[in-house]
Amino acid sequence: MTIPNLPNPIDYAVPGFILLIIIEMIWAKRRAPEKYEPKDTLTSLAFGMGSTVAGLFVASGVIAVSLWAYDFRLMTIPFAWWAWIICFFIDDLAYYAFHRSAHRVRWFWASHVNHHSSQHYNLSTALRQTWTGFFAISFIFRVPLLFLGFHPAMVAFIGAVNLIYQFWIHTEAIDRFPRWFEAVMNTPSHHRVHHATNPRYLDRNYAGVFIIWDRMFGTFTQEVKDEPIRYGIVKQLGTFNLLWSVFHEWVGIAQDVWTAPWRHKLGYIWRQPGWTHDGSRETSDTIRERWQEEQAWKSSTSSSSAADPVAAQPQAG
Amino acid sequence: MIAVIAQLGVSLLSILALAWLAKLLNLGGDLRIRDEDHARALAQEAVYGFVATDIVIDRAGMGALLKDAQGRQMLLRRHGAAFVGRLLDRRLEARLDQNFLTIGTGEKTFGSITLNLGDAAQYWAAGLRHVPA
Repeated sequence: MTIPNLPNPIDYAVPGFILLIIIEMIWAKRRAPEKYEPKDTLTSLAFGMGSTVAGLFVASGVIAVSLWAYDFRLMTIPFAWWAWIICFFIDDLAYYAFHRSAHRVRWFWASHVNHHSSQHYNLSTALRQTWTGFFAISFIFRVPLLFLGFHPAMVAFIGAVNLIYQFWIHTEAIDRFPRWFEAVMNTPSHHRVHHATNPRYLDRNYAGVFIIWDRMFGTFTQEVKDEPIRYGIVKQLGTFNLLWSVFHEWVGIAQDVWTAPWRHKLGYIWRQPGWTHDGSRETSDTIRERWQEEQAWKSSTSSSSAADPVAAQPQAG
Repeated sequence: MIAVIAQLGVSLLSILALAWLAKLLNLGGDLRIRDEDHARALAQEAVYGFVATDIVIDRAGMGALLKDAQGRQMLLRRHGAAFVGRLLDRRLEARLDQNFLTIGTGEKTFGSITLNLGDAAQYWAAGLRHVPA
């Protein structure tokens, strides 16, 4: 099998990234200056650059693991046009699995939280990438493609294309696309939901390119028009300190594991973010449950007040 | 190797140029806490379920202190073009200087903030002695 010499598509996309960020900044200047914050932008872009540097350090490790896994492949899939298409779909499914785990397992979250810790949602947020992805062994989610028989070069190329697609959806400048597009593709609207901390939106819309995975696996939530979205993480960082922003969750894990009783130590690594053995913190599930109870109470109150407006009113003692 | 270093150099210059452009365009604006309703909404965003019953806002709108019915107290402060909040606990550090109350959460990276609370400063400083553990 001839292995083509594939370029890194991200190298070619970077000038486009910069141009689109400039255009979005001009849009923000005219429409909503608070959508950008210079220090936040600097932090996000520094994340992106640091991630590239980290990638250079671990590239040989990723290549070694990829080639090792490819040696155990079930079959050899050629560099044919149909293979590219199939690889793209399976890779996007693998991305969904990775991304869902990255929000539901604290070990993976410690790396992925970097992408979510900005309180802004703009194109610079897209470049807010982790430095510790290799340490978190996030690449294992792509290993099944190698076992199947897709060549590591193809998987790496497709992974980069997937990442490039996700850049442009990090914007509030675009509202909605036609229904058929919103039904199949991940869009700015769907991804705004993913970055939101509103209880109704927590841990939803994990898709990379195709939103169909969320629809299939029950994690899809539609953006609601009349509820302003709040971006970031449940406990906002409150600092632009780059190193703290990169490592804060790893430090949190270390502190929790250190202080936890022996039988609970592992729970602070593999359970979902916010989990504690004594229930002293909240997870996205518990926050959503409280929100749902509140909504149910509100709707029962409003329906009973509609049926009997006098009875539903609070009575003076 | 030289190509990689050159690429990183260009990336660094691009990053600085974009951050400078954001500053040049005066993006971010000058957010302030407008009134009690605004502070209440920000507190609810910071900690879901925190329904403020008592509120004091810094004269310049840069921050606020809030209490809820459970006796919890929250510090709100501006962070760039957004606001952040923390429930105060025994780790807090507070210093009163006439109308100015300086509060740190005990969280190093969160920093501290000095609020001009006017006549209400003493009352709120006294209330900080009763935060939960």
